[in-house]
Amino acid sequence: MVTFCLRRLLVALLLILGAASGAFLLTRVAGDPVIEEPGPRTAEERQRERERLGLNRPLLSQYLSWLSDALRLDFGDSIYFSRPVGPLVRERAVNTAILALAALTLATVVGLPLGVYTATHRTGPGPALARAGSMLLLSTPPLIGSLVLVLIAVRTGWFPSGGMTSAAGLTGWRWLADVSIHLPVPALALALPLAATLERLQSQALAEVSRDTFVRATLARGVTPRHALLRHAWPASLGPVLGLYGVIIGTLFSGSFVVEAVTAWPGLGRLMVDGLRARDLYLVAGAAAAGAACLAAGTFVADVAHAVIDPRVRESR
Amino acid sequence: MNRQPRTLLTLLLIAVIAGTGYFLWRDLTGGEVQNGLRPREQRPARGGRLTVTQRSEPRSFNRLLSGNSVTDAIAHLTQGRLVRVNRASQQLEPWLAESFETEPGGRVFTLKLRQGLRWSDGTPFSTDDVLFTFRAVFDEKAGSVLKSTLEVNGAPIKATAPDARTIRLEYAAPFGPGLRLLDNLPILPRHKLEAMLQAGTFAQSWNAATPPADIVGMGPFRLTQYEPGQRLVFSRNPNYWRKADEGTQLPYLDEIVMDIVPDQSAELLRLQAGEADMFQYALRPEDSATLRPLVEQKRVSFIELGVTTDPDVFFLNLRERHWAKDPRRGWITKRELRQAISHAIDREAFADTIYLGEAVPVWGPVTPGNKEWFSPNVPRYPYSLESARAKLAEIGLINRDDDEWVEDPGGADARFTLITYRGNHVLERESTLLRDELRKIGLAVDVVPLETNALIDRMLRGDFEAIFFNYGASDLDPALSKDFWLSSGAAHIWNMAQAKPATPWEAEIDALMAQQATTIDPAERRRLFAEVQRVFAEHVPALYFVAPRLYMGVSSRTLNLTPSVLRPQLLWSADTIAVKP
Repeated sequence: MVTFCLRRLLVALLLILGAASGAFLLTRVAGDPVIEEPGPRTAEERQRERERLGLNRPLLSQYLSWLSDALRLDFGDSIYFSRPVGPLVRERAVNTAILALAALTLATVVGLPLGVYTATHRTGPGPALARAGSMLLLSTPPLIGSLVLVLIAVRTGWFPSGGMTSAAGLTGWRWLADVSIHLPVPALALALPLAATLERLQSQALAEVSRDTFVRATLARGVTPRHALLRHAWPASLGPVLGLYGVIIGTLFSGSFVVEAVTAWPGLGRLMVDGLRARDLYLVAGAAAAGAACLAAGTFVADVAHAVIDPRVRESR
Repeated sequence: MNRQPRTLLTLLLIAVIAGTGYFLWRDLTGGEVQNGLRPREQRPARGGRLTVTQRSEPRSFNRLLSGNSVTDAIAHLTQGRLVRVNRASQQLEPWLAESFETEPGGRVFTLKLRQGLRWSDGTPFSTDDVLFTFRAVFDEKAGSVLKSTLEVNGAPIKATAPDARTIRLEYAAPFGPGLRLLDNLPILPRHKLEAMLQAGTFAQSWNAATPPADIVGMGPFRLTQYEPGQRLVFSRNPNYWRKADEGTQLPYLDEIVMDIVPDQSAELLRLQAGEADMFQYALRPEDSATLRPLVEQKRVSFIELGVTTDPDVFFLNLRERHWAKDPRRGWITKRELRQAISHAIDREAFADTIYLGEAVPVWGPVTPGNKEWFSPNVPRYPYSLESARAKLAEIGLINRDDDEWVEDPGGADARFTLITYRGNHVLERESTLLRDELRKIGLAVDVVPLETNALIDRMLRGDFEAIFFNYGASDLDPALSKDFWLSSGAAHIWNMAQAKPATPWEAEIDALMAQQATTIDPAERRRLFAEVQRVFAEHVPALYFVAPRLYMGVSSRTLNLTPSVLRPQLLWSADTIAVKP
């Protein structure tokens, strides 16, 4: 298990380094951040600004000096915000993590039980409704889903339509309560399609496992169907579901630009897009590193969970 | 899929459509039909909060360091300038300086500061602050984006303070716009920023991590809260100097909340829900239809800002060296081609198709929105496909093989590639319409949308055939947009930064602009610039088709708005905005 963990950690570090380096180089090659700064500037002033930012040096030299700093966890100063990238990314990553955690919990609580339900109840209006709902949610683009939820919030007034807090300077329980009121719209926008995905996957996986001979043998031994389902079939069906969890966690924790933009949630996805628009290579690389770290952590957690649940996986590794 | 889920899916879809229909029906029923214009307003009173939305974050809180539109809007709320251009009348008026005089010759200006002014933190305002601001602008290490705009003949303005209330500004040469140059220059607090200027760290001053209390100004509001990615809160500046005509201490509002909402549709929803009072952009043509029901319910009003001063522009690459090895060099840079294109566009239909009729035809970069400088007496190219074809024939572009396209004498189709901004729906529609209209006269246009940065990069390198985009003039006064007009200018978009004028007509414009910039008499300046517009329209280096009328949607609780086509269209006079109790 220790070797397994160490190997995954090494892969995770390489993934983070690769993603951040790729983001840095691609953003630099794709455009010039000095052009993006509006306001009248002469060609000489632009050149001076490039020199100030170190953008006049050869690409390899820029990359190597960034890399040597990044390895010491110094991602440089954001060109757009004139602030160090580290604290900027941390602030937004925390906001994204709050949203991701809420969405993940909601998607799990709704998606997995519903998947078990539709797998074990093949006929009747209830399962049919659940399956149809899942298909509708899966086929709705995130932008439309987010806008519909914001529209509902606006029309009903049940929840704030956007933002993370109503006022600045809140602390403790008051902050928590305020954030909780703002969470439902963005969390639902993220969670509903995920819940639908989990429902479909769990339903199909459990239906397949239920047909396996070991389940039939368990039932033949006189074990109750409920016990056979929950103690034997369900854990065995979690393999593909947990595999997907790794990707889901990584995606959620690295921020969803569409949902964050529509619901005005100040997260990592929006920061990344702000950085990309401004060709802010330091910010983009920092945000990409954070996103890759989330993806690596998500995959790692899912793999470990899979190994814990399924001894075959443990032994094979 | 078996039948049951399909039936239920259908039922769910019906339910969604019915729900949407209900909301639309609820919007459409209720309230009498109005024309959308605001009713007679009640008298403004002090108090209340205005909520505006903004699509992006400020790059900096220091206007000297960023020309970003959010930074500029914030500078209008929190900072003061010596004089300002009234965005509604487009005239210069005293501000922190209570009076100003121009010495004969138009090179030296004397400004008298108001007495007893204080910064928002209570520190007395003085001539030292003004002198410090000029020092910061021209400091090499400070990296001010305003430096080049505040130079006359390439030399910085010399600022001195002969006494405790007087500022004397000396330009290197007589300059027509005079003190209008100072409209963009907020006066900065020496007591807060001098140490950074001396330490060479001014370029990092007043960034997003600066505590709001450290950002002090002479504007009507002060920044009191900034939550990155969420909102900025501005509270009344207790030391603001200005009073309304009836004697009320300004600003009227207690607070302005600027919510950051990156998505335009979400912004619109907030206005519809009453969660926002206004946003910072003119409405898109399709937004007007969305808001119309709320206008009828008197919850939202349309504010007409006027005709834009920055119409979209189409231009071909006129650098001869770009076409030196290209077989199209014989016709692509010819004036007749551009005149043919101008003849081929039905500007009325263009306005109807793209802007639902809310646009006026234009024939040059200066639109009727620029009240002071617009000249209607320029050559025009009325819609006529026959005239267009005749112009093409003059440069040898004739349909020689009875297909759809005209060919050059070598038999090659007349074709060029047009690049435009990807994701800008108006520009993409305009480019497509232009392509379709030019097809009627046999010109083939390939439209390629590119990302903003890629397009600007191609333009700066001169690596393009044709561009359709939006170029915002830096100022209404032509002498302050010299980069566009002069052949040596960095924004002379069709052939930038020429060492010497490439054509006689560009040399003529250069001479007229030089004369216009150094002339002090306003009437003579107008005459000279009318001549510039005439020469421009005769040679059409860039084509302008229509200028849209701009509208903003604002909640009906707002009072006392002074709209302007210039940014920030409503917040420029934030001190006089009020809300209903």
